[in-house]
Amino acid sequence: MIHNTKCECGHQNYVGTVLCESCGKPLGEDMHSQEPLEMRYDGVARRSQKSNPNWIDRIWNFFSSVKIAVYLIIITLIGSIFGTILPQENTFISGNPADYYGPNHGWFGEVYYQLGFSRTYESWWFITLLVMIGTSLVICSLDRVLPLYRALKKQQIRKHLSFITRQKVVYTRELDVPGETFAREMEGQLKRRRFRVHRDGDALLAEKNRFSRWGPYINHIGLIIFLLAVLARSIPGWYMDEYVTIPEGETVPIENTNYYLKNEQFTVEYYTDDEMPAEMAGQLRAKLYQTKAVLYECTANCHDLVEEPVLEEVKRHDIIVNSPLTYQGLHAYQFDFDDTPKLAAVEPSLINKETGENYGSFDLRMINPDLHYEVGPYELELRSQYMEFAIGEDGNPTSLSRDPNAPAFFFIIKGPGLAEEGETYLYFPRQVDKQRFSQDQINSHISDRLELSVGSMEGVTFAGATTFLNIRVDTAMPYVWVGAGISMLGLIMGFYWNHRRIWLRVDNGKLSLGAHTNKNWYGMRGDVASALKKVGIEVDPKSLDNGGKN
Amino acid sequence: MNWVEFSSDAFIAAFFLYCFGFLFYVIAVAGKKWSNRDPELHAKRWSRIAFVVSALGLAAHLTFFFTRWFGSGQIPTSNMYEFMTFLGMAIMIAFVIVNAIYRKPVLGMFALPLVVLIVAYASVFPQEVQPLVPALNSIWLKIHVTTAALGEAFFAVAFASGLMYLLRVVDFKGKSKKARRAQRWVEFTLYVIVVIIAFIATVFIFRGMGYQASFTQELVNIDARGVETTTVENVDYSMPPIFKPYNSEVVEMDSFLGLNKPLLETPGWMDGVNAGRKLNTIAWSILMGSLLYGLLRLALRKPLGAIIHPLMDGIDPEDLDEITYRAIAIGFPIFTLGALIFAMIWANIAWSRFWGWDPKEVWALITWLFYSAYLHLRLSRGWQGQPSAWLAVIGFVIVMFTLIGVNLVIAGLHSYAGVS
Repeated sequence: MIHNTKCECGHQNYVGTVLCESCGKPLGEDMHSQEPLEMRYDGVARRSQKSNPNWIDRIWNFFSSVKIAVYLIIITLIGSIFGTILPQENTFISGNPADYYGPNHGWFGEVYYQLGFSRTYESWWFITLLVMIGTSLVICSLDRVLPLYRALKKQQIRKHLSFITRQKVVYTRELDVPGETFAREMEGQLKRRRFRVHRDGDALLAEKNRFSRWGPYINHIGLIIFLLAVLARSIPGWYMDEYVTIPEGETVPIENTNYYLKNEQFTVEYYTDDEMPAEMAGQLRAKLYQTKAVLYECTANCHDLVEEPVLEEVKRHDIIVNSPLTYQGLHAYQFDFDDTPKLAAVEPSLINKETGENYGSFDLRMINPDLHYEVGPYELELRSQYMEFAIGEDGNPTSLSRDPNAPAFFFIIKGPGLAEEGETYLYFPRQVDKQRFSQDQINSHISDRLELSVGSMEGVTFAGATTFLNIRVDTAMPYVWVGAGISMLGLIMGFYWNHRRIWLRVDNGKLSLGAHTNKNWYGMRGDVASALKKVGIEVDPKSLDNGGKN
Repeated sequence: MNWVEFSSDAFIAAFFLYCFGFLFYVIAVAGKKWSNRDPELHAKRWSRIAFVVSALGLAAHLTFFFTRWFGSGQIPTSNMYEFMTFLGMAIMIAFVIVNAIYRKPVLGMFALPLVVLIVAYASVFPQEVQPLVPALNSIWLKIHVTTAALGEAFFAVAFASGLMYLLRVVDFKGKSKKARRAQRWVEFTLYVIVVIIAFIATVFIFRGMGYQASFTQELVNIDARGVETTTVENVDYSMPPIFKPYNSEVVEMDSFLGLNKPLLETPGWMDGVNAGRKLNTIAWSILMGSLLYGLLRLALRKPLGAIIHPLMDGIDPEDLDEITYRAIAIGFPIFTLGALIFAMIWANIAWSRFWGWDPKEVWALITWLFYSAYLHLRLSRGWQGQPSAWLAVIGFVIVMFTLIGVNLVIAGLHSYAGVS
């Protein structure tokens, strides 16, 4: 079908134009109806309305549809709900999620896990939805904002009569003053209502708050920046998320960085009964968790297994829940703590079981123990250490965690009466582990001759509370905030102001006035009615309504 | 008398003023048909009285808020009682703003009972001032919670006018399939409101009777390492147990109407915190709500919707439609700012990430997505009238689920705002 796209006013319009870009005369099928006009995007042609679409156009058309955008929003909404039914895998810091869902939630948990809903928000389909929403944001906006900008940039003052009388807000009457006088009076009144008025004899165009039309597009730009910033976290080095465990008084390296972090002191305070209402007396309610932390930068011997690293203090901060330590893009957050007593060091003695002779004792630290010890005539060499000893599935010893919950030390002992290459000895400092793992049987080749043991509690020191800190680097954050800020600005522009236009013309003493707004017709009618009242025409604002959809 | 005690008195005053405000709005609207009076004059006069009384209620409510803040030294938005009372207050503020724009006081006939309901619901929760846990000790508690609640308050006003619109336009005499479906859903919405009223009433009735039952429950938990732990917990009920906790034994139980042992056991797959007690409360609410609804139907001999519908005569449905939409349009940017952006800023400070897909966060996002879909449908697809009003009603259901339902059925990081 060939469209004749030239309007009677002489303007050549693009194919798909609904209202002539110049005079506003309705074109196409809409021409003879008397219904209020479809004013969306001022009736301009959009790229998505091309007549012979190729495959690129088809993709463009798909994503430029608001209907598709709404579908995408609704599908994402429903998809998100699935992820809230059971806890997501990212809420577990340790352990195997497969052992959680089935055993705790039965067949439903198992199905949930198998279908991948335990990782809903990292799943391919959810990411795809977000990318599609992003694409839709870009294409919908471009498809509309450019033609709309063009249409609003060059507006004609004298619009086609049927354009005016087919607006949603319309007023017509016979005037008893000359048209130009009336138009001039209205110009004055509308200016006082902060309209920008353009007058051409007895025709007039008054407009205000055009900027609010750009609100939705600015909002969309903000959302796109936000989404891109979130994607940017996958750039190497932009994002780090580590957890460190620091017993009181210790200094530990932060993996993948040159920093070391010290927990000088960890404090937990609970509310006293005096500070709590009577109903809560006796409850343990935390008031404060605080890690007195010192951040060091390593300047030499970093990651050297033999030499002590050289550390230089760079920052000192009391980390509490709402106040992380921050240094050059690196943040350390109070994440958790553990104040149950943990072994820090033991001082075992080497005893000859046959004679009862005590050869002496040595200091064995749980964290960073020395590798060589000399006790009397014996030499002990530490070969390996397990913080939480267990026998793995392959039958070899393994450690379940890095906390000294069930520590074990594997020594080679050399000395008088022992084999030349030394003999093995597995030592469990805690009595309960010693029995659980049958220390004496494991060491049976030597256990009737020599034994490591702690004589009394004096030989045991406990660590202070352990703090768990979350170490983050997130270089994309400023862009996230910029995106959110732009989006917010767009929302405010779009929702708290609205674009209002009034056209009027006088033909042979008959006034025709039409008005259009993108939102808030109530306010639009009020504007027209009060301007008319000031020039001596009383109308009920509601009576200006010409029907049709908003 | 200290400040916190004084604030409780102000709260009770606010509650009763709201009740009277509601009553006067009903007189303003329903009394138009009474004999020997000019309907317009009557409506104008009584709406003004109703508005003044409601505004006094808001003033008392604000007094409660600030004296409690002053007395306790922390902003009263830190537990469920304080948050719900704040939400009620925010709805009043939103109502006053929307009323100032549209001057349609009849909106009060629906906004006021909503506020009364929410304020009454708040009173179900423990009311003492609870000292802040470290996570809440931040300036963002003030900023995030208040803005989010204000945004939601506008959605609540949209719900009130949306429901009004439906009661106004749905054809309650219609026999067509479409009319019947609309009637059924409006009636269902009203039924749900009756159930909520019954829930609040039931809580206070059993509380007034001092009812108590307690159980010991054996809980088996398997952590992500596959380690099984068994704990025994005490569970206290304040309503007679229709459902006792799963795997539990009665320790002691008051007898109620001859009920001296639990009727049923909570199924094992409901394994959230206090699942048994919550299920029992829901069972009681539905039971009492259905009873109340049945009595109302018997007394009125008509569906509730058909009773309210004639009261709406003379209210311009287009105005209601526009108010619904406008309230959402005002609330949406505030909600975005408070419930998403401020929430992200605080989460980034307190929890080290601005977004962690915590259930509460996800539901705030779901609310946001829902209202963005609404706005796109309304502005670009021309959804107006009934579809738009239904979306406003559903939207507020999602808001309430985010605020209460998530805490009730899904535990997450926001659990300190939990329901007890």
